Amino acid sequence: MTVSEPSIRATRWPAVRPWLGVAARLGLAAVWLVAGASKVDDLAASGRAVHAYQLLPYDVATVVGAALPFVELALGVLLLLGLATRLAAGVSAALLVVFIAGITSAWSRGLAIDCGCFGSGGQLAEGQAPSYLPEILRDLGFLALAGFLLIWPRTPVSVDGWLTGDVPVEGEDE
Amino acid sequence: MSSRKGQKGAARVVREQLARERRRKRTLWVSAAAVIVLVIAGLIGWSVYSSQRAGEFTAPPGANEAGTGIVLGEGPVTIDLYEDYLCPACKQFQQVSGDTINQLVSEGKVRVVFHPVAYLNRFSTTDYSTRSSAASGCAAEGGRFREYTDALFERQPPEGGDGLSNDALIDIGVGVGLARDDFGSCVRDGKYQPWTEHVTEEASKANITGTPTVLVDGKPVADRSPEGIRAAVEAAGR
Repeated sequence: MTVSEPSIRATRWPAVRPWLGVAARLGLAAVWLVAGASKVDDLAASGRAVHAYQLLPYDVATVVGAALPFVELALGVLLLLGLATRLAAGVSAALLVVFIAGITSAWSRGLAIDCGCFGSGGQLAEGQAPSYLPEILRDLGFLALAGFLLIWPRTPVSVDGWLTGDVPVEGEDE
Repeated sequence: MSSRKGQKGAARVVREQLARERRRKRTLWVSAAAVIVLVIAGLIGWSVYSSQRAGEFTAPPGANEAGTGIVLGEGPVTIDLYEDYLCPACKQFQQVSGDTINQLVSEGKVRVVFHPVAYLNRFSTTDYSTRSSAASGCAAEGGRFREYTDALFERQPPEGGDGLSNDALIDIGVGVGLARDDFGSCVRDGKYQPWTEHVTEEASKANITGTPTVLVDGKPVADRSPEGIRAAVEAAGR
């Protein structure tokens, strides 16, 4: 890349952006850590939650269900540390897109399942309405956090910053 | 760019380029390491899950051929019941429609296959779903599966707590006429836990995503009221 001229200079943006980045990073880290921790103690149930979407064959669904909580925890730790932030944000965004697609597909097929995003999952009890829209909106919110970090991965108090050894400067590494 | 004449400027550009190159390399390595971390995390999950699977199981006496449930009665129509002993909707279903099903069994109209699945382990701190299901296998061994199932639903603990202890499970069994010694050691040893896992896994494979699920001759019954079940059985028997 050549020098990217910071053309639009909103008055406070350069000062605020790094700290918005930290908030996005830690927020997304919390999301993954909570999501992973809520599933990690019952991997069989996590596999059943994946299988409930009826998109994958049973054996594949159980493998995905078993691997996913650990991947989520690892993403959470990477973001918490601020290590390989752009990559972690990219993987997060990809996962969230897959989740949103899965929920949308379950919705459009008329399945009545819990998304299993934060534990539980599977078919809903009698009289319980699925809450697909809030689930999708929530995931879109998380996607926005990931998008922010994808565009501006450099945040203060991060291992990335420590490794590169200089303060994040506007227009750097982008 | 800094197209000023003079070597100083040129040297600076070179320095900057080198620094940028170094940073780029470092970022690449860090990213590669992070990818490896994520892959390893996934593999850990897979291997933990694989090691948790019991594999070999023994089905209790009275189980169907596939070992996925306990058979009650004989009849031309098959009713499959998928229930978790911790599931409140299952308790309700048993209270409302249990008698009707027992009646259909004693009239010789249906063969019931009861699948005690452990779907709700995360709703108790002690894996109550698995323990109670395995205990029902022990009750089948003692020839009291139906009585024990009814008693378990009657004494159902609330979701989110620590369920019933093994001792309480044993006391309930003794209450329905099971021998304390045999039944007690069977429950304590978790003799049928691998079977419970098999029952649960097969149910999940069969796309049973929730409890209770009622199938009449393989078809899901939406109306689980006594009338609904009778109607479905009659329709299937025709």
